[in-house]
Amino acid sequence: MRLRWLRLLAPLAAVLAFAFVLTSCGDSSDDESGGTGATGSTGIPEEFQAPTAAPDDAKSGGDLVVLNEGDIDYMDPGAAYYQVTYMLDFAVFRSLVSWAPDADTDPTPDLATGEPELSDDGKTITYTIRDDVKYAPPLQDRTVTTADIKYAIERSLLPGVANGYTSTYLSGVTGMDEAIKAAEKNTTEAPDISGIETPDDTTIVFNLDDTSAAGVMGALSLPVSAPVPEDYAKKYDAEEPSSYGEYAVFTGPYMVQNDCVDESGKVTDENCSGKITGYQPGEEIKLVRNPSWDADTDFRPAYVDTITFQEGFADPTSASKKILDGSSQVTGDFPPSPTVVKEVASGGKYDPSQMVVTPSGGERYISLNTQEPPFDDINVRKAVIANSDRVALRNTRGGELFGPVMNHVIPPLIAGFEEAGGLNPPEGLDFLASDTGDPDLAAEYMKKAGFKSGKCEGSECNITMVGDDAPPGRDTATVFQDQLEQLGFKVQFQPVEHSLMYTKFCSIPSQEPDVCPNVGWIKDFNDPQAFFDIPFYGPAINPSNNSNWPQLDDPKLNKAIEQAKLVTDPNERAQTYAELDKQTMELAPVVPWVWDNDILVRSDDVAQVTNLFNGLTDLSFTSIK
Amino acid sequence: MARYIVRRVLWGVALLVIVTAVVFILFYVLPTADPAKLRAGRTANPQLVQQIREQLHLDDPIYVQFWNYLKGVFFHFDFGESYLSQAPVKDIIFHRLPATALLVVGAVILWLAIAIPVGIISAVRRRSLMDRTTMVTSLAFISAPVFWLGLVALYLFASDVGVIPIFPGQGSYTTADSFLAKCGSMLLPWMVLAAATAAIYARYLRSSMIDTLAEDYIRTARAKGLPERQVIMKHAVRAAITPIVTLLGLDIGLLLAGNAILTESVFVIPGVGQEIVLSIRRSDLPMIQGIVLFGAFFIVIFNLIVDILYAFLDPRVRYQ
Repeated sequence: MRLRWLRLLAPLAAVLAFAFVLTSCGDSSDDESGGTGATGSTGIPEEFQAPTAAPDDAKSGGDLVVLNEGDIDYMDPGAAYYQVTYMLDFAVFRSLVSWAPDADTDPTPDLATGEPELSDDGKTITYTIRDDVKYAPPLQDRTVTTADIKYAIERSLLPGVANGYTSTYLSGVTGMDEAIKAAEKNTTEAPDISGIETPDDTTIVFNLDDTSAAGVMGALSLPVSAPVPEDYAKKYDAEEPSSYGEYAVFTGPYMVQNDCVDESGKVTDENCSGKITGYQPGEEIKLVRNPSWDADTDFRPAYVDTITFQEGFADPTSASKKILDGSSQVTGDFPPSPTVVKEVASGGKYDPSQMVVTPSGGERYISLNTQEPPFDDINVRKAVIANSDRVALRNTRGGELFGPVMNHVIPPLIAGFEEAGGLNPPEGLDFLASDTGDPDLAAEYMKKAGFKSGKCEGSECNITMVGDDAPPGRDTATVFQDQLEQLGFKVQFQPVEHSLMYTKFCSIPSQEPDVCPNVGWIKDFNDPQAFFDIPFYGPAINPSNNSNWPQLDDPKLNKAIEQAKLVTDPNERAQTYAELDKQTMELAPVVPWVWDNDILVRSDDVAQVTNLFNGLTDLSFTSIK
Repeated sequence: MARYIVRRVLWGVALLVIVTAVVFILFYVLPTADPAKLRAGRTANPQLVQQIREQLHLDDPIYVQFWNYLKGVFFHFDFGESYLSQAPVKDIIFHRLPATALLVVGAVILWLAIAIPVGIISAVRRRSLMDRTTMVTSLAFISAPVFWLGLVALYLFASDVGVIPIFPGQGSYTTADSFLAKCGSMLLPWMVLAAATAAIYARYLRSSMIDTLAEDYIRTARAKGLPERQVIMKHAVRAAITPIVTLLGLDIGLLLAGNAILTESVFVIPGVGQEIVLSIRRSDLPMIQGIVLFGAFFIVIFNLIVDILYAFLDPRVRYQ
């Protein structure tokens, strides 16, 4: 009899013990940031602020490993449009201008010998480039010329290259419209952009129809201006899509291994084709030293001998621990999980300096469809923002270290951020005053909108929301759904796969739901223009690939956006965009909730340097101790 | 037998065409992300998106796309090119197949080596302590999700993050530079993948053996004075193992088709399973199509092999 009772109790005891173990494991729903100390204007505790210079005793040699969850988007520099791809591109391609690790406002001359000359009317930009930069094998006997840079920009208009930003940011260049039309007609030959002139091998001139020089110069800091020799690339660009990415030629301190060089970067085959052998999509990318690179021509020191991107690390917790416990490794495209962040921040097993936090230059917000009831009423939008507990939304991503609560459009480290209020909301916008929500104020705004009870009532309060189907995006959407329902809305939430959310719902205005909870924006370059030109500009509403998710189309704001990009003086520009920021937030088109931080971890033996522009590791400045 | 094989092969081809059609229809009927927009980027204008759509032939009618695809596959062995990397689908799959094949082969050997003796002994010594222990243990392994088991194995035994660092850890397959090193990197994945499957097979075999041992011919064999070992191994096992052979054919086909997704993801093995996850996320239809087709091919082939094996295992089976 006793034995039978024991047989029943034993498994019950096991279940209870297991449940106890589960519940005593913490979760990250509380706002536990870890870290103390002054935060500065980025909200990041001092002990986690990223080093942006190599140590004085940085050593040469060694093999660095970067762990990635996913892959780069394209090897072709003309097509690359992804933060993680830039991490690679900054090490293998030299552009007209680039970004040193500590450059957070102005780009660093790279191929250019110095700052560009801007004409008095602001419509002509002239760069002079170095005459001593050589290509990597198979073009090791060839020097970079301005014609190569011109071709690189022109080829980016081809649909086979499909650059996502040239036609936007370089739209002011003379002849750009004609070139775009020519590329539509002849899809296998790069069109000529008449406004780009190369009077000699070391001079390149950009003639503009307007004074949008700041946007042009910003775009030239991206890999699109990495030189591409026309006679070498033409045959690849004639294919649809272009296969130049499989044969790209490099100019940086490193190169992706190809059939010309071995692992040490030594040329092994003089008659090679240049076919890239060091890139296995989704698996591995192998960077070796570029034998043509001359350190005297470059601001990059390039300490390590090889860099390997290992891809496919789907679990951020185990991958982060592999880095922290291992050697010569850094994170690539994934943040450590909140559990690991807490563990490192609290000290103990790991040195807190193995983790660094940097503003990503990106932000997340929840868009409210301003073209459809009920969110076509500004008071309803203000009520929703006032009611939102934005700290709770931010915490779905892991807590304070993952970013400060967003209060306006321009994120930290972008010109105009401090002028717009810094970490605080713009003055006078009471609906943004509380980041944990103010239900009383929300009720007042609802009453102004005609809802006498202070909550939404009636059929127009039945709203649709399409968001991510996986955490943390799904968590954010669920928390926001609760907050909306507190205000009386009846929310029909449809979770879908992330890219589906964008391409089939939120970026098609005719299909767009009332709320898109998992949208945001990240800078293209360190200038505030990038945060307004598309996300809040009415004429940018695109019927099939829209990124103005709230579908905001305010004539006064549109005019202000058009005027702002023509301002050339940096101080005036910062102030102008700060005012534009306030003007945008006054219209309450979105619920701003976090300015993203990039969180990186490194192995103990890695002297990691972060590139402030990219928010990720600068491979050319990082060394092994 | 020859006619049977030819008939099965022809049915197999028909099945592959049907599978291709189903994937095509699912891709277009069910909501998927637009590959042209993913390729064009977030700020691309509608003209560029349309041009990319034309380049990738996404604007052709579905039946035209389907017919062109079928022609390419069956007449030229051309599975098209990945929308994202532009690499031939066939090359990507063949590049990734060895990793999956090594994972599957090793796991199969391991789980059979465990399941067969355990199943036999459990059946022969029914209700003994050993039988109860193995069956409870097998229940535990069947219930444990593979990804959980994999993570626990990593945290216990992986050389990079494990408490007892004795086996190579995540990503070690990619960095291994010899066949032996690659096998070493597979030890933990083999054990993880084999654990649950061995448990299922042991239970199946035990059940099948118990039924077979109750058959009249087994009683006759014992009555004739045959040694018990011979009764079990030569007479009972041979009959009882046929359901295992069926399962094995299906499992090998499924695993080669990408069903080892979770194991490959946890241990960062660049196999077919990992590729299908990436392809689905990127709405890369040619890759999805190619992997599904390869998978269907393996399932058809291994089912055929299994059916032929039956004729040798069980003399009662005859093919007209």
